[in-house]
Amino acid sequence: MSAAIHTPTSGFDFSNANRNAFLESKGVKMPKATSTGTTIVGCLFKDGIVLGADTRATAGPIVADKNCEKIHYISESIRCCGAGTAADTEFITALISSNIELHALSTGRKPRVVTAMTMLKQRLFQHQGQIGAALVLGGVDATGAHLFTIHPHGSTDKLPYVTMGSGSLAAMAVFESGWRPNLEREEALQLVVAAISAGIFNDLGSGSNVDACVITATHAEMLRNYVMPNVRVEKERKYGFRQGTTAWTREKVREMIVSEEIRPRAVAPGGEAMDTS
Amino acid sequence: MNMNTIDLDRLKTGEVNLGTSIMAVQFEGGVVVGADSRTTTGSYIANRVTDKLTYIHDRIYCCRSGSAADTQAIADVVHMALQQFTQANGGPPSVHIAATLFESICYANKDALSAGIIIGGWDKEVGPSVYNIPLGGGLFRQPWAIGGSGSTYVYGYCDATYKEGWGRDETIQFVKNTLSLAMSRDGSSGGVIRVAVITEDGVERLFVPGNELPTFWEGLEVLGKPAKPLGVVPMAIEPL
Amino acid sequence: MTSIGTGYDLSASTYSPDGRIFQVEYANKAVDNSGTAIGLRVKDGVVLAVEKLVHSKLLVPGANRRIQTVDRHIGLASSGLLADGRHLANRARDEAANFRDNYREPAPLKALADRLGLYVQAYTLYSSVRPFGCSAILGSIDKDGPSIYVIEPSGVFYGYHGAAVGKGRQLAKTELEKLKLSELTTREAVFEAARIIHLVHDDAKEKEFELEMSWIGDETNGRHVPVPQDLFEEADRKAKEALENFE
Repeated sequence: MSAAIHTPTSGFDFSNANRNAFLESKGVKMPKATSTGTTIVGCLFKDGIVLGADTRATAGPIVADKNCEKIHYISESIRCCGAGTAADTEFITALISSNIELHALSTGRKPRVVTAMTMLKQRLFQHQGQIGAALVLGGVDATGAHLFTIHPHGSTDKLPYVTMGSGSLAAMAVFESGWRPNLEREEALQLVVAAISAGIFNDLGSGSNVDACVITATHAEMLRNYVMPNVRVEKERKYGFRQGTTAWTREKVREMIVSEEIRPRAVAPGGEAMDTS
Repeated sequence: MNMNTIDLDRLKTGEVNLGTSIMAVQFEGGVVVGADSRTTTGSYIANRVTDKLTYIHDRIYCCRSGSAADTQAIADVVHMALQQFTQANGGPPSVHIAATLFESICYANKDALSAGIIIGGWDKEVGPSVYNIPLGGGLFRQPWAIGGSGSTYVYGYCDATYKEGWGRDETIQFVKNTLSLAMSRDGSSGGVIRVAVITEDGVERLFVPGNELPTFWEGLEVLGKPAKPLGVVPMAIEPL
Repeated sequence: MTSIGTGYDLSASTYSPDGRIFQVEYANKAVDNSGTAIGLRVKDGVVLAVEKLVHSKLLVPGANRRIQTVDRHIGLASSGLLADGRHLANRARDEAANFRDNYREPAPLKALADRLGLYVQAYTLYSSVRPFGCSAILGSIDKDGPSIYVIEPSGVFYGYHGAAVGKGRQLAKTELEKLKLSELTTREAVFEAARIIHLVHDDAKEKEFELEMSWIGDETNGRHVPVPQDLFEEADRKAKEALENFE
């Protein structure tokens, strides 16, 4: 009996899943999670990996965040771009990042990209698509540079250039026409910028700025807001009302600070003062 | 009974699908396994160069069809189980044991999985063998097996063409032809053909690019220009 | 070093100062005092035979069998405490069934011996249990052909061409060594097995014994079954004749 009324402190609670599915089938609108409409990409180049992401987060038709970060830290030389449910991508990458760090500590080796990929896919598969995270995982390890896509149900693909999110079609069009083996760092970076820009300008779910991250064997460079093609320009006119626009009839200045004097109470005869030692 | 096609309703919405044409054929000295390379999410090709031929053990491969996530997870579990088996038993597992492990997972979780798997391999007990595990989780040993959505188009071709006693090269050609035909008719299949030849000596991987697939009758490209103008225009051949 | 009175023999979880576990050695003694069991691995099969000592004439013939079937293709002959042998056979059946469940094929004997070895060894680790007072000869034809293994009370197991445990093991081993086991047929081996059991039986100490024999071969279709009545009687008769001529 106690198990039935026990409320877990963390994790998923599916107890209302059937009820909600029923209500939804009857036409009740369910609340929507914040989704990173998103264009995320990654591509291989001569010395490593370039990852890219836009910075728009949406909640239905509303832009919830105009400059969010979608390239998440997994380890020093492994990063992960997230599309889908923002909370899920945020937390699953944080969790795997933590586990990867512990794994690196216990093995005494630098973590591998496949290890992170396997941890992510197994966690996503376990939750049967309920964790809405679509990821682009990339990095460089002892075995070389690796790039993966991971879908919410836990399937993975290993490819030299990948795109995900609602802007993936626009971005893939750029890669399909522009990518070739052994690109130079600068060429790859420009290709990624072009791919993300394609998403920003042609996909409603993506927008704002281009984040990029270049990972090579020696170091990883996070290029936050590498390109900002949508900077809001200074307004040419001010629309605020001039002082004195509204007429007034009288003026009264009130003291807002209430002050009072407090005096310590005298100690009663025979009584002892509180021991404050 | 729906034996070899993938029931699309079984896939969860947005799930990555191996629309797929897969195949395995046994011959005297080994097994040829083959697959197309298309992975789809709805109408989008998520991966056009997928490798659906998955390493399970040194002489055992599987061809995956159905949900990409499900089949990858199953293959990973069996891969691990067989590594443990190898350590515990001091030698490689038979193809039958590998197929059995696939089958027990597919059958026990039949309500939650959409996976159609073909296992091909070589072992020292029985030599080459092919096992088919269709959707419900059955286990069938066959001299040849085809699977995935594209397979429905080529059952007749396989029935009419397959013969016992082929050598390695004939078998490879049979696999390439069958897959090419399946890929040309099935919209969910396409891309390139990946092949693996598993024999006692090892595994040889072959690759057929999308522009070098075996072709059959495809209209003018094959027939060329009609020798003389025809009075009646036959179907599918338009006069130039 | 003797064990008596030192206290080092009271528990299987205590070593003696020179590194022995006396409880395991005592368990071996229980085997050494019991009727002989032999196993022959020949060209195309396996024969198991035991000398079952009958302690009472009131016993029903064929009772308390010491050769048991573990799986369709696996036999187990035990020597030592009969009850321990039966328990071990039951465990072997569970392991064999478990292998079948997992892999949908009969268990190779090596895999089974491995699991049973682990099981028997676990009884040498704890003060709350006693080691198995029996040795078991396992025989089978599996995918690698005919094989026999002996599991001892310590948990170790070895594969043999010919194996003998129990009272008359020394003489039995000598006899087994004289045979060309890899050239014998299973049918010929039945006669040799019967002869050896009769030979090693010591009339002076134990009057009565029952011969028990089973085989696995092409003639049994790979199954472990008792040797058929007519063949058994012929082998038994010839064994007795050979013994009389020998003496």
